[in-house]
Amino acid sequence: MQFDDVEPGVWPSGIHSPYLSTRSRGPLQPPVRVRAPVPANQGVAFVPSLVGAKDLDLTRQGQGAPLGEKILVTGRVVDEDGRPVRRSLLEVWQCNSAGRYWHQKDQHDAPLDPNFHGLGKMFTDDDGRYRFVTIKPGPYPWGNHDKAWRPAHIHFSLFGNVLAQRLVTQMYFANDPLFRHDPIYQSIPDPAARERLAAHLNMAYTDGGTALGYEFNIVLRGRDATPMGL
Amino acid sequence: MTHKITSSQTIGPFPHEAWRWAETLSQAGSTAAQRVTIAGTMFDGQGVPVSDGWVEAWTPEAVSAEGERPIPGFRRHATGEDGGFRLELSLAARPRPGEPVAWITLFGRGILKHQFSAVFLADAPGLATSDLLDQLPAARRDTLVAQHQPDGSYRWDIHLQGERETVFLDFM
Repeated sequence: MQFDDVEPGVWPSGIHSPYLSTRSRGPLQPPVRVRAPVPANQGVAFVPSLVGAKDLDLTRQGQGAPLGEKILVTGRVVDEDGRPVRRSLLEVWQCNSAGRYWHQKDQHDAPLDPNFHGLGKMFTDDDGRYRFVTIKPGPYPWGNHDKAWRPAHIHFSLFGNVLAQRLVTQMYFANDPLFRHDPIYQSIPDPAARERLAAHLNMAYTDGGTALGYEFNIVLRGRDATPMGL
Repeated sequence: MTHKITSSQTIGPFPHEAWRWAETLSQAGSTAAQRVTIAGTMFDGQGVPVSDGWVEAWTPEAVSAEGERPIPGFRRHATGEDGGFRLELSLAARPRPGEPVAWITLFGRGILKHQFSAVFLADAPGLATSDLLDQLPAARRDTLVAQHQPDGSYRWDIHLQGERETVFLDFM
């Protein structure tokens, strides 16, 4: 595949000073653009048996139903030509409805839910579509600055079809009033690129009796895929 | 028409529970191939070890040698409290000269976008004529070379920032 330069303002820069941890961790040098046929044309192979039914429904990983608002999240993963990124692995993780992660180092004074761990994984289908059921995550404080509260979000990790498509990002919920106060969201200079990280309520995916449906489409880098999607 | 790409956000401090399955499976299983160990530490720009970083290593040339493993050719490691990581890789039977022993992807809290890199063994054939190393500034090539240790392993430290900053890559 071919990987063009990313438009200015779409990637966060290495250092975004209001997000304190970036000051000593963000690279100072720009990445070196290289011709490298292997990462541009091959990827990590994951076999379908790595994903089970419970991985797709984060509300069925405990002994009972978790607390909070059940939602369905779906969308398509495509490349820059709009071609589906087929049979590619996605991982998702998130805090619970009270804003607490199932993680020993999360000390936020909000309750854990024994029925919600917030861990999922799945493959895209032949149309690039993914779909999972979960609980809407809550906002939480993170200590970066006075009154630092993260907007509700779900973490996404995508492998794409080739290594150069690898992406880790966060899905937000459209029109969150915390966006303007969040230095992680604001680390993306281009406002349009920020807004592309928001999921939108979509009645077509909403179930009348059980869950609102949210749509979050993802575009990975890369053009000129072969007909097999690789 | 060009579709506009989805931007990146940090992995944050709490991916461990979600990422453990692949950390475990990628290190599971046997291989008949010759093995190599690359150990190192991830440092920030102040020289402080990064205790919540992640390293993914991918050796496509070793996929067939690891055909019995759950995720052949792939490794995922969380850095330890000391910032350390230890990659146990399989070597290809006939490695292509000048190719890295592994393609690397790094993640961490405070790293807003994953960083691609690559690691070479200092005594691998073809290092001097590597097409990849040849595309890098000469003064920085060493940052991708793991150095041979007396015990037979190799050492490769990752510096996220600063004078010894590791070369990070963007693929064309």
